[in-house]
Parts: sequence; C-alpha cells; structure tokens
Amino acid sequence: MSFAERMLKIDRRIIFLVIGFCTLLPLLYPVGLPIKISPEVKSVYDYMESLPERSVFLLSIDFDPASKPELHPQAIALLRHAFRKNLRVVAMTLWVSGTGMADQLLTQVAQEAGKENGKDYVFLGWSPGGTAVIINMGQDLYQAFPSDYGGKPTKGLPVLDGVNSLKDVSYAISLGAGNPGVEAWYVFGKDKYKFELGGGCTGVIAPGLYPLLRSGQINGLIGGLRGAAEYESLIGQKGRAVAGMDAQSATHVAIIILVAVCNIFYFSLRRQAKQQGG
Amino acid sequence: MIFLRRQLPLLITMVTGLLFAGQYYVPHPASEQLLTSATKWLQIIGGFALVLGVTSLFHQHAAKIRRKEAGWGYSVVLYAGLVGTIAVGLWANGKESVDGAMTTFGWVYNFMMVPLQGTMFAILAFFIASAAYRSFRARSREAAVLLIAAVIVMMGRVPLGEYLIPASGDVSSWILNVLNASVRRAILIGVSLGAVALSFKIIFGVERSYLGGGKE
Amino acid sequence: MKRGWGDRAAVAALVSAFIYGGLCSTAFAQFSLMPPADVHVADTPNDGGESLTVVWAPGPSDGPDARYQVLLGEAGSTDPSALKVVAEFSSTTHYVKENKVAWWTRQADKAWHQYVIRSGKGIELKDGTTYAVAVTLLKGEERAVSPVLQAVPEPNWFNWNQLNNLILALGFGGLVFYAISHAKRKDIFLRRIPGLDAVDEAIGRSTELGKPILYLTGAHDMGDPSTIAAAVILGRVAKRAAAYETELLVPHREPITMAVCQEITKQAYLEAGKPDLFKEDTNFFITSDQFSYTAAVDGIMLRKKPAANFFMGAYFAESLLLTETGASTGAIQIAGTDSDHQLPFFVTTCDYTLIGEELYAASAYLSKEPIQVGTLRGQDIGKAVILSVIMAGTVLATIGVVTGAQWPQVFLDLFRDLK
Repeated sequence: MSFAERMLKIDRRIIFLVIGFCTLLPLLYPVGLPIKISPEVKSVYDYMESLPERSVFLLSIDFDPASKPELHPQAIALLRHAFRKNLRVVAMTLWVSGTGMADQLLTQVAQEAGKENGKDYVFLGWSPGGTAVIINMGQDLYQAFPSDYGGKPTKGLPVLDGVNSLKDVSYAISLGAGNPGVEAWYVFGKDKYKFELGGGCTGVIAPGLYPLLRSGQINGLIGGLRGAAEYESLIGQKGRAVAGMDAQSATHVAIIILVAVCNIFYFSLRRQAKQQGG
Repeated sequence: MIFLRRQLPLLITMVTGLLFAGQYYVPHPASEQLLTSATKWLQIIGGFALVLGVTSLFHQHAAKIRRKEAGWGYSVVLYAGLVGTIAVGLWANGKESVDGAMTTFGWVYNFMMVPLQGTMFAILAFFIASAAYRSFRARSREAAVLLIAAVIVMMGRVPLGEYLIPASGDVSSWILNVLNASVRRAILIGVSLGAVALSFKIIFGVERSYLGGGKE
Repeated sequence: MKRGWGDRAAVAALVSAFIYGGLCSTAFAQFSLMPPADVHVADTPNDGGESLTVVWAPGPSDGPDARYQVLLGEAGSTDPSALKVVAEFSSTTHYVKENKVAWWTRQADKAWHQYVIRSGKGIELKDGTTYAVAVTLLKGEERAVSPVLQAVPEPNWFNWNQLNNLILALGFGGLVFYAISHAKRKDIFLRRIPGLDAVDEAIGRSTELGKPILYLTGAHDMGDPSTIAAAVILGRVAKRAAAYETELLVPHREPITMAVCQEITKQAYLEAGKPDLFKEDTNFFITSDQFSYTAAVDGIMLRKKPAANFFMGAYFAESLLLTETGASTGAIQIAGTDSDHQLPFFVTTCDYTLIGEELYAASAYLSKEPIQVGTLRGQDIGKAVILSVIMAGTVLATIGVVTGAQWPQVFLDLFRDLK
C-alpha cells in the first residue's frame, strides 16, 4: 500500500483529534474576529426594534438540549433584546425534552433584566400534540395552555392582558431544531392566524429554510451559531456565540484543509494508476 | 373479518381524507373546530400508542435478560433508567425545579440528559469531518464544482473565512439564496407532487399496501 | 357600482365634515382637505369571521405628509368622535394590491386603499354584531372624516381565494387517475433507479454473509407521506428477506408506525410462503427521542454488524450519525428521503440515495404495477406543466425588465393569482 493510499484510508480517530484541537484551542485562546451581519438576521433585529413597548413577543423554544450549543445563544440574545425593548414575552416549547432548559434560560435572562414573572413574561411550558398545539393556540390560547409552567392559571395574568389567541401576537419567533419547528409555525400558525413570524434554526437545516425566507413566509432567519453571533453583535452584548465563532472558524478551515489534502492524495494516486496503465 | 381488516379502514380513510382535504377550503369556525377535535383525538390515540411502544420495549429487553443474550446487562441498565426516571419524575410532579430549588428529576435532566444529548449532537461535527475527508473528492467535473461551492460556503460562513477571502461572504450568500434555494424548490415541487399523488391514491384506496402488504 | 358608492359617499362626506368640524378647533382648515371618498365597509370575505374590510379611493391629498386613521365603534354611532382609532398609517401605504388576494375576489381597484380590521391586539369584533366604521385623512393640523358606515362581520363557508388551489388539486388528481387507466392499457417506460436496483444486491449480500438487514422508517409518523412510502418499501424488502431467510431488524421511533410495519412485515412473510419465520420482535420500538434513538441504532450497527442498512423516510440531524456509523461497519447503505436538507449527508455516506420523489416512485419501480407506474406518469405530466409555467414566467419577466414594457406584468399577475 502506497503512502497516498494509506493517507486516504487514515484512521478516522486522527481526524476526530484534529477537529477536537481546532475546537478547543480557540475556545481557550479566543481571537475575536469581526462578524459581518447578514440581511436575514438584520431583518429579525429590525422588526424587533420596530415593535412598540409592551407588544406581545412569542418565543417558541422548539429544540432540546442536543441543539443547545447553537440555539441556546440565539434564545438568550433574542430574550435580552425583547426585555430591553420592554416587550411582553410569552415563551413556550413544542419539544417536551426542551421544557426544563427553556424554563431555565427564560428565568436566567429575565432575572438579569429585572423582569417579573407573570407581569413581564410567562413560560407556558409544553403541551402535547406538536403542531396541533399551534392550531389550538390560534383558536384559544387559554384552552391550549390553561396554566403556565409553574401551574398558575394563564387567564388573568397581566402579561397576557388582551391576548386571547395567536392573532394577538405582534411577533413570533420559532427557534427550531427540526419538526415541529419554523415550518410548522408558518403552515399552522402564520398562514392561518396572520401574525409576523421569524425563524431561528441549527446550521444544518438553515439552507432548507431559505425558500421560506425568499418567499416572505418568514421575515428573517437566524441560522446556527453564526446567526446567534450576529444577533449578539447587533444587540451589543457579546456572549457564547461570538466566543464560539473562533472555534467554528478554525474547524471550517481544518475541514477545508482536510478535504484539500485528501484530494491531493486522491489525484497522486490517480496519476500513479495512469502511469502504471500507460 | 375481511370487512374489519380491509373495507372498514379503507372507508374511514376515504371519508376522513376527503373531509379534511375539504376542511382546508372552509374558513368557518366550525371547520376549525372539527380540525381541533381531530387533533385532540390524535393526541389521545398517540397516548395509547405510547403504551404500545413501551410494552414492545419492555417485552424485547425482558426476553434478552431472560435468555441472557449478549449485552443483556445493557437491558438491565435500560430497565433501571426507565423505571428510575419515571419514579423521580412522579415524585417531583414532572418539575425540574420547585421555587428555584432543583428536584431529583431536575438533576437527572440537567446532569444526565442534557450532557448526553449534547454529546450525541457534538459527535456530528467529527463525523462531518471524517465523511468529508473520505468522500469529498473531485472524481468528476460535477464533483469538482460541488467541492468549490462547498469550500466557498464554508469560508463565507465564518469570520476567519471572510477575513482571508473578503468576497466569500457575499458569494456564499448568493450560492445559498439563489442556487441553493432554487434547487431546493425544484426538489420540493417534485416531492410535493409525489406526496399529493400518494395522498390521492391512499384516499381513494388505490394504494393499500400500508394496511398490511399484499393484494386481496 | 363603485361609482354609486362614490356619489353617496361624497355627499355624506361633506355632511360629516360639517358635523365633525364643530368638534374641532381647526374647523375652517378642514374644507381645504377632501375626506376619503368612496369609502366602503363590509364583512371580510373568505375568512373565519371577526373581521371587517374597509376600502376607499386614493385622494388628491395622498402623499408622504398625509396619514389615514381607521375608526371603529358600536353600532348606530354617527358621530366620528365617538369612534376609537384602531389604525393609523401613511397615505402612501395600505393599497388593495398589497393584499395577497386573487383577482377574482378583489373588492376594489388595485390602486385603492384597503384596511382589514381584525379581532385581536386590543380590538374585539363579534360575528353577527353591527359596527360603525369611518376613515379620517390627516395632514398637518387638518383632518377630514368620511361618513360613518355600518357593517357586520360574519364567518364564511368557502374561501374563494383558494378556488385555484382546489381546481389544480382536482385537475392533478384527475390526471393521475387518467394516467393510471392509460398505464393499464399500455406499457410505460420507467427509467432505472440505481438505488432500487441495489436493493436485491444488498439483501443478497446479507444472506451470503449471514448478517441481518437493518431497515429504518424515519423520524415522522404515519401521517407523513415519506413514512408511508418507507413502510410500502419495507413490505418489498421484507418479502425478499423472508424468501432468502435473512434476519430483518426494524427499530422504530413511533409506536403507531411500528404497529403498521408489524402488519406489513407479517403479510410479506406470508406472501413469501414463510409465515413460520416471522418474528413479532422484527419490528421494535426504541424511543421517540431523536438522539437516544440514534445512539441505540448506532449500538445495534456496531454490535450486530448488519450487512445492509436502509434509511427510508424523513430524517434530521441524526442522518449523518447513523450513516457514518453504518459506513464504518462496511455495510451496503441505501437511503431514500424527501428531507432535502439531509440529502448532502446521505449522498456522501451511502452507496445509493433516492432523492426526493424517487422515494415515492420506489413502490412503482419495485412492483411495476400499472397503478403505481401510472401515478408516476401523472406526476411527470404535472411537473411538466409546472416547469412550462416557470419557463414562460421567466421569459416574460425578463422581457419586462429588458424592454420596460408593462404587458408582461399582466400575465405575471395572472400566473401569481393562479398559483
């Protein structure tokens, strides 16, 4: 077996090690490269900015702890922005395994902003049914969620004053890691009950949501850690996403180098084969 | 018997299929109410179905333990995990924290489920790298074009890439917004037509193999 | 008809301007500003109720410095001051053309103004109750109010905006059934799908090696066409596996899908003449949680080392974790998915991938039954129609941009409404 052949069949654990180092080192020694803001993230920010105080902002945290590294920073940045704008925040989740995480992150950001549960924000928790919950909320929010996550009846909560259904929501954002997520919120929510919708998602599914963005079905899209870093830069509160971008930069470059190296070996092997054939 | 196994399910499929296809065109609240009721039925059926799933899980692993099959110890771990989580979940009334204090269920969630799920997702980055190394080769002209596009998008999506090649950000946005979006739309059109055709076949009983394979 | 409203509205506007003038300190200034003309209020058509639509003609004072207010109040109110302002916007916005309704349901000229008052955000409209509505024009300190009109919101039984959708769906359905009847009479050519040709090869390899076949049906439930397609293909795979007496493993994420697949597998073994080989635990449930399921299936791959892995149906981030592990065990891997976002991962790690609708075409390809093949032909004709319209639209839009002509826009609007 030639050197090129051996390199092409390299033990994948060596590749894992390279990626591991490329992730770890920038996290330990951050560089802080500037981040360019994309129009799709800017549209979400601009729409949030345009909302008057005490408007109703619905954040559907449709992911589980597995997608935490990418979507948690997005949720934190959006909540910080919403609380700073003094919006009424209604949070919920369509993913049962994300309930505890969603509650923690909302409570953490609300405490940081000095906001009061029930008055400035509410966490509705999870309700069974997946996409059916969106339809139920479109008809009657109090039937879909008779009580909040803490067990308090939702009817009569000051934060939900004048809110009866999704029609009363000024802006909704779904941070989705799959199904149900952004697409479900468009099909069963915005399309039926006419409210403005934005989206956030993991980097893997972001390209799949571009058609929704281009057709105006969602007014903006925060894609992956990069999107979160852009949003953090926009609100001027840099957090985990910005810190993570250096690591992402290094891993992307490492993968490009690996692909280049593999192609060099591949071509040298092909040339050898040709020479032997000729 | 054949009526219960074949004709009745086909009749239910046809009636409900036509009813809910029609529901899409009726904006009246009564139609919305019908949809809500149906989704609630689905939730209830889903609840019972979970019993079916858990029974299958218990049965399969019980058999493994009984027969002392290879790796039967993992089945014991599964039993312990399942029963243990249900017990602490019931004890904590399904809450991860009460008045700011973490419950046992919360501990299981925060210190077992969160890191385990995070680990699984994190493996993805390593697998992407190894899959890219193994298969991303310019074997043909088309593969070379794909390779170049991938490199541009990867550079354009991170600050270091944009720093090294300033145009990569705009070019990657163009690739994502124009080329990627149009190709995905094309796939979507094909998929949607396929799904509509399949739905028609199911509603009118032309496709019935999902009821149990063969023809009558 | 619109002219009729206009005449009545003009007279009423003058009267209301007199009435309202007395309430305002800038009464004199109002006469220089014409109130909104041809105002018409009615129940919003094609909706679920609790909504009213106001349309009015553009006025000479429209411009960036002029604004409109929409007023709403209880039935019987004739005094605009008793009405509540429910919306205020620039007079250069809120046109009929901005509303995404088809031309056959449009209530007024595209250049007219339109505002839809909906229940919600502090407004409560009840079906069957009469409401008073007026429109005010504001310019600097001046204001002019339209006559107060009455209307009743009501729910509707048919959404005429979706008539095109219904016709297209029925047309496509008809086309599919015609193609099926045509396929029963004549042979239709089916192009090769390498992924499906490889199904037999994969099963044969498993048999030779004495290793099991692993078949996954995806992340969705039986409500999703991709899962149904995956279940249909499972029937064919199970039949071959039964014939070759090869072990089949089908781990599930959804209990109902598991129950359905159990029936399909049982039937397949029966048809293959090997009912005694069928085992109830061929299909088994793991968990509905994405990554727990992935970890379990990866474990099965590493322990049992199946020689053939089938990934059919809908997938998310777990796709690469499954296929990369499968590749590391040296199994033949065949994927089929309509989850376009996961296609790159399947294409790089699997030996064969059925892309998009090829998954739905699989049952036709495997069975070669006229019903299935005819459906494919119907789909192809449908796709050809859509492609022709896209091509024509692209040419028309390009001509419009290059020549600056307005006529292509008429056709483009028609296409958009008909879509």
